[in-house]
Formats: sequence, C-alpha cells, structure tokens
Amino acid sequence: MNSLIESINITKKFGESESAVVAVDNVNMSIYEGELLVIMGESGSGKTTLTSLLGCILRPTSGSLIIDGTEVDYDSEDLSMIRREKVGFVFQLFNLIPYLTALENVIIAMDIAGIKEHEAEERAKELLTQVGLPDRMDHRPSQLSGGEQQRVSFARALANNPLVVFADEPTANLDSRNSASIMQLIEKLCNERRTAFAVVTHDERLRTDADRILEMQDGRIL
Amino acid sequence: MKYVFLKDMAYRRARIVLTIISVACLVALILLMGGIMKGLRMQARDYVESVEQQAETGTVWLSTERSGSTFAGFSLLNSEHLEILRSLEGVDKDIPLSPIIFAQARPVINGKETKAVVVGYQKGKLGGPSEKDKTDPNAPFYPIIGRLFQSSQYEDYRPMDIPPGEVIVDELTGLEIGQNVELAGKPLRVVGKTRGKFFVFDTPLLFMDIRTAQETVLSNVIYVNTVLVKVAEGYNPLQLANEIKERSTVRVDAHTGNQIVEIILANYVDEPMKGVQALRIMLWIATGLIVAMITYVTTREKIREIGVLKAIGASDKYVVSLILKQVVIMTLAGIILGIILAYLAAGVFPIMVVVSTSESLLVAVITMAVCLYGGYIAAKRAASVDPMIAFRGR
Ligand SMILES: Nc1ncnc2c1ncn2[C@@H]1O[C@H](COP(=O)(O)OP(=O)(O)O)[C@@H](O)[C@H]1O
Ligand SMILES: [Mg+2]
Repeated sequence: MNSLIESINITKKFGESESAVVAVDNVNMSIYEGELLVIMGESGSGKTTLTSLLGCILRPTSGSLIIDGTEVDYDSEDLSMIRREKVGFVFQLFNLIPYLTALENVIIAMDIAGIKEHEAEERAKELLTQVGLPDRMDHRPSQLSGGEQQRVSFARALANNPLVVFADEPTANLDSRNSASIMQLIEKLCNERRTAFAVVTHDERLRTDADRILEMQDGRIL
Repeated sequence: MKYVFLKDMAYRRARIVLTIISVACLVALILLMGGIMKGLRMQARDYVESVEQQAETGTVWLSTERSGSTFAGFSLLNSEHLEILRSLEGVDKDIPLSPIIFAQARPVINGKETKAVVVGYQKGKLGGPSEKDKTDPNAPFYPIIGRLFQSSQYEDYRPMDIPPGEVIVDELTGLEIGQNVELAGKPLRVVGKTRGKFFVFDTPLLFMDIRTAQETVLSNVIYVNTVLVKVAEGYNPLQLANEIKERSTVRVDAHTGNQIVEIILANYVDEPMKGVQALRIMLWIATGLIVAMITYVTTREKIREIGVLKAIGASDKYVVSLILKQVVIMTLAGIILGIILAYLAAGVFPIMVVVSTSESLLVAVITMAVCLYGGYIAAKRAASVDPMIAFRGR
C-alpha cells in the first residue's frame, strides 16, 4: 500500500534535559492512502502531540517525516505550506472563525492556499453539501449546533484535497447523538474519497469501522 | 476571500470605530497645530513682503546698530542723520529713503483696549497703502476701502506740523469708516480699511501718517524705528546693505527684505513655536502607539483565531497582511475624518489657522507611516502565535 505520511524515529520532548517530558518517543508509523486510522490511548499518552507532528504543526526534537515521498526539511521548509496543501485538521473545539459564515469558513482554507474566490466558493458549496449542510451555508458558527459546526470543520479540513485529515477527539465536545452522526460522517467521507483519516478518539463505535487502530501509551505506540 | 479583514472589522466594529475616532482627533490636532504655525508664518511675513513688493527692486531696512532690526530688538533712528545715504550708489533716486514706525500698541477699539501694531509711514513713500492700492488688484495693499489719511504738510520733521488724526484699519477689527480709534489718548478717525493686513496672532495693523505715529506712540519726537532704503534697479540688496553698514556715518544695522523675513519668522514663529513642534511630534508618536496598542490588544483577543488560521496553513505573511489591511483601513479612515475635522475646526478657530492640502497630505503620509510601523510590529507579534493553541481547550 501507498504510504502518504511516514514517521521515522520521531520524538518530541518538551522542556530541558532532566525535567523534560517525552511526549512522543521514537515513533515509527505510516498512514496509508484512503484508510481510516484510529489512534487511541489514555489522556496524556501523546496522541495530540503525535498528530501535530505528523501534520507538521510541531517540529520534532529528533527523527524525520516523509510526506508524499519526500522528507520534510525542517530547517528550510515553510511548514505552513505543508499544512495548507497536504493535510487537514479537525479540532476538538471546532475552531471555526466566529465572524465568517459556514461557507466562508470553508472558503478561507482555500484562500490561504491562494485558490481563486470563484473556484473556492464552488468547492466549498460541494463540500458543505457532502457533509450534510446544504442549507446552513450562510449561518455563522454561533447559529450552528456543535454537531453542525464540526461538520463545517470537516468540510474545511477537506477544502484543499489533503492527503490526510487529522481529527483530534472530534466528538469529545458533542453529545452522544451528535457524536454518532459525526462518526458516521467520518466513515462516509472515508469511503467516498481517497483521503486518509487519522482520528484520535475514545469512541468505541469507531473501533469497529477502523481500518487500523493504534494504541498509544507514554508516547509510544504499543 | 478578498474581504476577510472587513468581516473581522465589522465583527469588532465598536473598537474599530473608537480607534478611528481617536486617530481622527489626533490627526486633526496635528493639522491644526501645523495650521496655526502656517497662519503665523503667513501673518509674520505679510507686512515685510508687501513692502518688498511695493519697492519692486529690493529693500534694505536700517535700524539701530546691534538691535537686530526693529522687528527683533529696540531700534530708534533719527532719519535726518541718514539723509546722506540718498546719494549712495545703488540707492533708488525716486524714493531713496522711507522712514517707518512699526510699534506694538494698545489702542482702544470699540471701547476695548486691543493689541495692534502701529505702522507710521509717509504716504508717497514705502511702508503702507498708497493711492495705487485703491485701484490696482496687483498692488500689495489692495483693496483699500474708503480713502487714505491726510499727510502732514512738510516732509521733514517739525514738531507743530501734525496732520488730522486719521487711520486705516483692517476690516476684521469690525470698525466702520467714521468711527474712532483711541491711541495714547488721542482719537484717530477711521478713514479707510484694508483686507487681511495682520501681524502674528491676528494683530491688526493700523496705518497712519508717520507724524501721527510719532505723536501718539513716540511722544512727538523726531525718531523713527526703521528707515527703508529702496535699492536702485540692477543693484544687489545684500551688497548695498553691506556697503551702508561700512559707509554710513551713523552706525546702523542694515538688513535686506529677505533677512528681515527670516528674522521675523525666527523671532515670532520658529523659536516660540518650538514647543508646539515638539508636541506635534509627540502626538504623532501617540497616534502610532494607539494604533499599535489597539491592534496588539485586539490580536491578543484573536489569538485563538490566529492560531487556528496558522494551524490550517496560513503563512505568517497571510496573518500579517490580514492585520495590516485592518490597520490601513482604520488609519486611513481616521486620517480622512481627521482632515475633515481639521478643516471644520479651522473655520471656527479664534485665530488664523491655515490647513493646506499639501500639509494635509504630508500629515496623512507621516501618520500612515507611523501607524503602519506600529501596526506592523503588533501584527508581527500576533503572527508568532503558536498554532498548537488550536488543540487546546479554552
Ligand atoms: N507544550 C507542552 N509543554 C509541556 N508538556 C507538554 C506540552 N504539550 C504536551 N505536553 C505533555 O506531553 C504529554 C502528551 O500530551 P498530549 O500529546 O497532549 O497527550 P494526549 O493528547 O494523548 O492527551 C503530556 O504529558 C503533556 O503534559
Ligand atoms: Mg489530546
């Protein structure tokens, strides 16, 4: 299978020598095309840190990362470019921009990547329809329920056709009904696209549908 | 999306509007201070330049030696002692010497003691309105409403030769022709009016015969404050001034018209207004600080939004430009509003304020530069937000 993102001995320490916390400890792993990868583990086991390392939000203390066949050059590369072109993120707290409508929240991800307004709007409409919000496009985040906001987040994460969408506990702030529908959405999107989904969750329901499950403990993958 | 920054601003409009108003007030103050100084400069140079224009070929102003001219120090000259200069080469033959009194005074105008400058001169010579100014729009003291005062009988000084007490005042004094001005206890009848003839701080000029001026402000003595030498055509005023200083039997200071203008500007505008200049620069700094601080505080509040934008791939440049666009809009709106305010305020200001287009432009450019600099620093700091904030709880 085709590996989209591969980490080699990737390690992240916070703090200096003695008191340093090793949040991610020598992790070797890959994410493959089209898969639904579920990352589980206790709180503090390093899931968020690993996700942000793989998504190039964090720089590792040591180790390397290969994205789409090329090694990330942490010294000279602009990591923001990788973030806007190769990966997408969904956060626990949705993190939509409050002054933009659902549609604009999706468009802005493409605006950042320099895509023309007209084209971006078309694609944003398609994506919002795909996540089940065809009639909520002009609503502000404050006018949307948590579940709806998280759907907008998924549309935003998919805006630039990323290789992988990372979702860090996307249902942790939702009630069980909304959680279930977001989980269904993830499965649906994963089936419909070649994009891989790496989802950090405690939700047992996703376990059954996952292509692969990684269990983390103390910064390592078991 | 072209207008993300506008949507953000609309979302936080109360703060934006307040910032714009603050910038506008500061810009208006900066402009008004500049306008006051410009008004002062115009009024400071107006009299001497009008006389220069009247002389056409250049002037040399004589004053008591080391007085620094009658506009800067105290100068009294006996004009008869200077008669000898008539024959000097480079001195005009038609109007060689014009005695002038230029003295601050406190006449009673409309029943109120008011500051004014008494200008005494001889009607046919240089120093004040002539017949020409009544009809020629290009004449320096045009227009004269009414008539000129009657002159004394003799050209030379004779104690008993005092003309009827008559004066030409500026129309802004509110005096009508036929009314009286009281100067040193003597009533002077207003016979004519000038338009826009002032010395600094809207001090009106009172034009009168040299003998009337001598009688009222100098206790009827032979002295005058300055003697004006008209330079003959083709001669250099500076050379003539130097020559007079060397050759005159009575020791005198001699300045060209340009030098006198410089002296007046330094004495009445530049030196006293140093504090105002410094204040202006401080206001500029304050404007920049306000914009920088508000931008910074606002971005502190937006730290999560900025972190999220960065997490989803926005470059630092994108974030900086987003913030800077807002700074530009706020500053620009503030500047425009400030300029409008300044023009409105200038019209109702108690002293002459000259807000010019070029000055407004200069203020706009400097204010924009200062605010952009402050905004840029704030934006740079905002853009350095750690995108990991997007993963954290509130
Ligand atoms: N910025 C940081 N500074 C110091 N320690 C951190 C930081 N971020 C995470 N950690 C520590 O790293 C470990 C892993 O954290 P995290 O990746 O957030 O775990 P999880 O997402 O699995 O709960 C925890 O012990 C956490 O306290
Ligand atoms: Mg976490």
